[in-house]
Amino acid sequence: MSTRDERRVSDPLDLEVLPGQKRPYDDEDEELEEHEQPRGRDETMKKDQYLLRVYHYGKDSDDPAERRRAIEARQELITMYLPLVRSLARRYASRGEHFDDLVQVGAIGLIKAIDRFDLERGVELTTYATPNIVGEIKRYFRDKGWSVRVPRGLQELNIRLNKVIDELVPKLQRSPTIQELAEAANATPEEVLEALETSQAYNSVSLQASANGEGGEEDAGLIDYLGGEEEAYDTMEDRTALAPGFAKLDKRERYILHLRFFEGLTQSQIAERVGISQMHVSRLIRRSLEKLREEIGDLDAPHIARPPDAAR
Amino acid sequence: MAERISLEIPATLGALSTLRMVMGGLVMRLEFSIEDLDDLSLATGELLRTALVDDPLDRLTVEVEVEDGLLRFAAGRFRSARLRSEITVHRGSLDLCRLLSSTVDEVTLEDGEGFYRVVLVKRRGSAA
Repeated sequence: MSTRDERRVSDPLDLEVLPGQKRPYDDEDEELEEHEQPRGRDETMKKDQYLLRVYHYGKDSDDPAERRRAIEARQELITMYLPLVRSLARRYASRGEHFDDLVQVGAIGLIKAIDRFDLERGVELTTYATPNIVGEIKRYFRDKGWSVRVPRGLQELNIRLNKVIDELVPKLQRSPTIQELAEAANATPEEVLEALETSQAYNSVSLQASANGEGGEEDAGLIDYLGGEEEAYDTMEDRTALAPGFAKLDKRERYILHLRFFEGLTQSQIAERVGISQMHVSRLIRRSLEKLREEIGDLDAPHIARPPDAAR
Repeated sequence: MAERISLEIPATLGALSTLRMVMGGLVMRLEFSIEDLDDLSLATGELLRTALVDDPLDRLTVEVEVEDGLLRFAAGRFRSARLRSEITVHRGSLDLCRLLSSTVDEVTLEDGEGFYRVVLVKRRGSAA
């Protein structure tokens, strides 16, 4: 079995690449290996083993100097292997989550691998760390991504629809119909309906998600936007914040609910003002309502934000 | 010509997805925008979620009718005074009453003998 075939089998998300084809990151990985390990494999291994020993033998030492050196060794290991994390995270960057978020999550897997590494097992750190990093990224997708199993085709159509809607709204100067979406996305109206329905299963909107939903590394993230809008949030007439459960929402969520239900803006208008896609706004509204429900509790107060004096 | 679909669905959250797909199919023919559809989905979803808690019925009767760019959604048979109050009385926050009035064009109650139905009307291009 070739290396590429092995990768296909071991690829946890089974990216659909036929034998002989390359994934976009394949060349980057080769490039990474050339650039990130200039010292050579043996030298890197020796340094790994040295740092791992300094860390594991020194971390619980009574000697403060040894403990400090252990912490420094751990830090150096993390820094040394961040390129590996970035390389693995890049494989999943096209799946709707921001690359930097995936690197952060992958770094947690790396740290766990360093901390749990067994010096007596005689394996390389890369061998042990890779499944830990990938596992952490997969867990992130599982916990934060699609909350129910959605077929890959529908997930992809959903991502495509997001882009198509962003293109059609300014062109049509209104929200598109199902038929218009279907034509633009090269799908049937039934497929579009199904994809829109399944989009409600997607429960994550990364704070680092790019404003245009593309997830590009160079795009301004929502965090950047929020920083700029902080003043607007603080000064708005935020009646929503007075309602039970709203304290649990972040400023952006309260702002969007305020614009939609108190200012009467459409999702498209909110999308334009906030700088995110209409589908993003739709998901945020649903997620905020879901959070309110969770906070208030369905049994005590079944509907969203029941005021304290509501009839019982 | 009006087209009407009547459904009797289990009074469970799981049945709401089926209902959304049915409405989606009808809305498609009305050439509603996806925002109109989203508004409808939100309004009916929140209404029925509240109803399931306030009015413990085994089954819900739902009727969806479309004609001339208008969708009329009726659900029942409800008996709960609390649900009635939540639909009709606005208490100054983001309550069900405000959510419905923000997402559909008309909200009315049709009284029967010992029960009532909630009727929501959404017009094409009215995404508020």
